[in-house]
Amino acid sequence: MTNLKEKTDLATPVERAVRLLSTMDLDVSDVCVSFSRSLSISLLGRGIKEAVSRTDLGIGVRVYKNKGMGVAFSQSLEPADVEKTVQRASSFAKVAQPDPYFKGLPGPAKASEVPGLCDSEIVSLTLEQASGLCRKMIEAVEDVRPGAMYLGGLGTNHSRGYLMTSTGVCFETEKTSVSAYIAPTFREGDDVGSSYEYDYAISLPEVDFEGIGKKAAEKALDQFGSKRIESGVLPVILTPDSTSSLCFGLMGAISGEVAVKGRTFASGCLGKQIARQIFEIDDDGTVPSAIASSTYDGEGVPRRLTKVVSKGSILTFLHDSYSAGIAGVETTGHAQRMGYRGYVGAGPTNIRVRPGDSSLDEMIAETKRGLLVTYASFFPNMVSGEFSSTIDEGFLIEGGEKRHPVKNLMAGGHILELYKGIELVSKEGRIIGKGHFFPSIKVSEVKLAGR
Amino acid sequence: MRDLLESIVQEGLTAGARFCEARFFEERNNSISIENGIARTLRSGILRGVGIRVIVARRWGFASTNMPTMGSARRTLEDAIGGGKSIATQVGEEAEIVEAKPEVETVSHKVKMNPEDVSPEEKVKRMLEIEKVARTYGDRVKDTFVTYRDVLTKVAVCNSFGTSIEETTPRTYAYCSVIAKEGENMQIGFEYVGNVAGYEIVDSVQPEEFSGKAAKKAVNLLGAQPPPRGTYTIVVDQRVGGLFIHEAFGHNSEGDLVFGGQSIISDKVGHKVASDLVTIIDDPTKPRNGHFVYDHEGTKAEPHLIVKDGTLVGFLHSLESAAKLGDEPKGSARAQSHHYPPIIRMSNTYVASGDMTFEEALEDVDLGVYLSGSQYGYVETQKGQFTCKAEQAWLIEKGELTDYLRDVAINGLTLDALKNVTAVSKDFMMEMPGMCGKGEQGMYVDAGAPHLRVEGIVVGGRR
Repeated sequence: MTNLKEKTDLATPVERAVRLLSTMDLDVSDVCVSFSRSLSISLLGRGIKEAVSRTDLGIGVRVYKNKGMGVAFSQSLEPADVEKTVQRASSFAKVAQPDPYFKGLPGPAKASEVPGLCDSEIVSLTLEQASGLCRKMIEAVEDVRPGAMYLGGLGTNHSRGYLMTSTGVCFETEKTSVSAYIAPTFREGDDVGSSYEYDYAISLPEVDFEGIGKKAAEKALDQFGSKRIESGVLPVILTPDSTSSLCFGLMGAISGEVAVKGRTFASGCLGKQIARQIFEIDDDGTVPSAIASSTYDGEGVPRRLTKVVSKGSILTFLHDSYSAGIAGVETTGHAQRMGYRGYVGAGPTNIRVRPGDSSLDEMIAETKRGLLVTYASFFPNMVSGEFSSTIDEGFLIEGGEKRHPVKNLMAGGHILELYKGIELVSKEGRIIGKGHFFPSIKVSEVKLAGR
Repeated sequence: MRDLLESIVQEGLTAGARFCEARFFEERNNSISIENGIARTLRSGILRGVGIRVIVARRWGFASTNMPTMGSARRTLEDAIGGGKSIATQVGEEAEIVEAKPEVETVSHKVKMNPEDVSPEEKVKRMLEIEKVARTYGDRVKDTFVTYRDVLTKVAVCNSFGTSIEETTPRTYAYCSVIAKEGENMQIGFEYVGNVAGYEIVDSVQPEEFSGKAAKKAVNLLGAQPPPRGTYTIVVDQRVGGLFIHEAFGHNSEGDLVFGGQSIISDKVGHKVASDLVTIIDDPTKPRNGHFVYDHEGTKAEPHLIVKDGTLVGFLHSLESAAKLGDEPKGSARAQSHHYPPIIRMSNTYVASGDMTFEEALEDVDLGVYLSGSQYGYVETQKGQFTCKAEQAWLIEKGELTDYLRDVAINGLTLDALKNVTAVSKDFMMEMPGMCGKGEQGMYVDAGAPHLRVEGIVVGGRR
């Protein structure tokens, strides 16, 4: 088997590329090498289907000449391939035209190390052990009700990266992650009971594999007997997995160049109130042992806690150095670098919605007729802000009680109308990856398209 | 490279594998991003490596490496064998596979203009010409984006049936999106072309019909209304029809989802699943974006008839699903790169032409919605519930197109929707080159249809 203790040298190819770049007539540049080792066990049909291991590595070079950008990457770290990659990026930068918005790359900065981002148990995990964890999920489903057909799996990743820029930034990263997902499907004649449950984290002990299986089975059985309902305008309660899509949509719309160049529905919302005062969102890339934490962002800027929405108002956009340069502000440390392929943009880290003072049970109990949405994506058209979403999993509420699952139902509207309509936020919610926190929320009314 | 792959296959068998497959993958891509008249970024990348798949102890093991050397491939083979053994005692799907006919061939798709022969400067000049038409369309045009991309993919597959094939496929794409703004109202329009082709596909673009059309859509959408909501008769154009059939039915016909209990049509072979007007075919031999000669298991591709005159007649197969479902493989297994095992994918999926005209499809509709241009879609195959999002739409009133509509999405139930197809026109078109996501893999596909009329579809809207 591949020796997992054997550490691939990342620094040498980076330094080789940087040395070569320093001999060229360029403005600024950065070089990133990343390595990852991932294991996965896939589930299909009656259970475990396949065991997969991958080793990936590559080098990405980003070069600016007269404010024009050239990017090249290669999956080979051989000296000749590193040289060709540098040459390609450099020649492309010379063909690219000046980007008037580009102000430069950040310089070095010191940051306190965020602890707990690498789990040695994941680094040394074997496929046999991983398949045992998958079995725990399956057994937990079968304990609730045997005979399901499955889709899902478990994946672990151990990644290392090394970034060096011509502006003096130089740092190495190391991180682990684990994700688990199981979707059991039960059938009773033509009726289908199907749902899913998942979790992801930095370390194995954070994931409750039996709990995932049990919850997935219970949710799947709850889906039997789904019915169509009439079109109408109803109050809607979103559970945390649906609240998260609402929040990711907003955070994407206030991130980076699309936000500051006026290309999203939220571009004009900086400093404006978009929701009632009960609604607040923090973004914190420094939470110890959390899935979206890191010491530095993708450009070497220290991560931080950012108050994004306070008392219903958007206080700041999330910036990398490029968008910060356009806005004339300091970067907020939200640059995201997609491995060695040279894509750098801004995006959120750990999204933490402030808990409210209601509860999911109270929200349901006080709803005469409404819809409980346990899964739907409210990701809007990022330009117009309008959405038209299928309610993938939901329940009709009547007389303060959950009645039956719904099907063939859509919700439509403008995402900012949804935010304005948030009238309750629950005190309890779901922590994901030890970093994100999403509560349940109640929206006063949403237009629904059904029978 | 095929020598290395063949050696690894032999070593896999010697090490106890019942089946061994070694696959080399290389992808070279170049792209140019134009934004508001500036060629802002030029990119280039090379992906290269080997993926090895085995059946050992009656289970599948797969491993991959970026280093296509003998030493690294041997370690990867050990990982794949170790993987299969690691799950040997676990409850689950045992590996089965049909005995495949060995194929030995080298295929290289020809192009009229090799993108490598066109300089980056020349490509930038051409894309700027295309972009300028959008930027100068009118003063409500706020932002313009044009992207060029060429991809050259080489796949070599050797397996223990004696197959040794290599296929080199060039693909070229151009994409234009335009944001138009009026007050607080912002809308986006886009156009795209792409195929298994060379630079000729970009060279032949008529800017007014491409970027000019994207700009026109964005500006026109500023005056569009939100759609009504509820259950309507819909008529869809060829792109929405292609998306509809890909999502509503195509994924359900993928053999792995069928034997894995994830398809709503798994027990419906020989049964009516659609109206008599509907015939559905997936054809990788058509020279469209999903075209290939050999799939990534080395099976020679053939057209697959899935639904004939409304009756389900077959599924899409890999070597495994053909064994488990008792059918012949016709080449539907592909992998995104060396890092992924082949899984069953659609190629060029379409609804065959009928005999009506578009006008005839509209004329019986008292109140409905006409959808045009595909954006995206998804399906929950196990439930048979799908969603498709269109670029633009019109209200149909008494057979005529009236109000112009924006942000229209539809939802339906697979088994109901296809039985409710009441018109299929004769104006077939397949022009939806794109990527389809399944699991964690993306894959080149295309889809098409004539105009279709479907009753009883939910239209999501704000009115």
